[in-house]
Amino acid sequence: MKKALTVAAFLLVAAFLVVAATTMRPFGEPSHSEMDDYFLVNCQTEVVANNVVTAVVFDYRGFDTLGEATVLFAAVVGVLALFRTVREDER
Amino acid sequence: MIAETILQIVTLTLIICGAVLAVTLRDLLSSVIALAAASLLVSLEFYLLQAPDVAIAEAGIGAALTTAIYIIALRRTRRKEQQ
Amino acid sequence: MSSGMSVIVRTVTRFTYALIIVFGFYVIMHGHLTPGGGFQGGAVVASAFALALVAFGTAGLKGALNRHLLQSLEEVGALAFLGLAFAGVGTAFFYNILANSGSVFGGSDPAALASGGVLPLMNWAVGLKVMTGIASILIIMVIGARKEATE
Repeated sequence: MKKALTVAAFLLVAAFLVVAATTMRPFGEPSHSEMDDYFLVNCQTEVVANNVVTAVVFDYRGFDTLGEATVLFAAVVGVLALFRTVREDER
Repeated sequence: MIAETILQIVTLTLIICGAVLAVTLRDLLSSVIALAAASLLVSLEFYLLQAPDVAIAEAGIGAALTTAIYIIALRRTRRKEQQ
Repeated sequence: MSSGMSVIVRTVTRFTYALIIVFGFYVIMHGHLTPGGGFQGGAVVASAFALALVAFGTAGLKGALNRHLLQSLEEVGALAFLGLAFAGVGTAFFYNILANSGSVFGGSDPAALASGGVLPLMNWAVGLKVMTGIASILIIMVIGARKEATE
């Protein structure tokens, strides 16, 4: 029973992967490219920077980077809380 | 073009080999090293797909910091996996 | 185990430690010109700290990496990033006030080092935050491991 379930799940996931691989778009040709073209054309004049990725990450989509910084801060606070040293008088 | 395709196929095959080794090895330190090698090859694959930003991030985080954290964690526990 | 690893690892670490740190600062500094940026460069510098911690242990560092100083610097980086984001709030959140303004970072040549508006400052802020945050995580983990081993 358990082995039959495993085989069924494997076949289901494999079928989805095969369908996705056969209907995949060619590499480097997205279906909607308006924002990409806007960034590539206007990046060097609006934000005066050559690295378009950094311009997108820190300027056009800066709110995402704020969330990433918050995630890192939460990770540091979590590790601090997990590995804190308990003093003798608090025990 | 054809050389780049061959290089990508070789890189992807080596990534799968590293991942299988990381799962199947009994010595956990060797398993961590195999995972670091797979991560470095993923970084090379990102570079071949013309994403050098992601390649630098993957080489720094995946290949260096994750390995260091796993080695620090291995010092607190056993090195050999139990049957 | 907390004293570190073998002689080979220590010697290679002595050679490569400064080189990795310089490369990480290069990636942060040229983040708006070449591939890379604050997060990637900070991760590279933090990997140098991780290499030193794994090779020498906490005993070999001799307090060169102060944990409380690193945690304070992480909050300095986070607050600098947030302050630079709020600096453009007159127009929009995360508005680039320094680009094309003709002041310090406001040149019109996209290939110059002093260009990009607030992008280099944000790169330094995020790089400082990432390198000190990850280094403090590693130091806390190594110290916790040593405490449990001695008890």
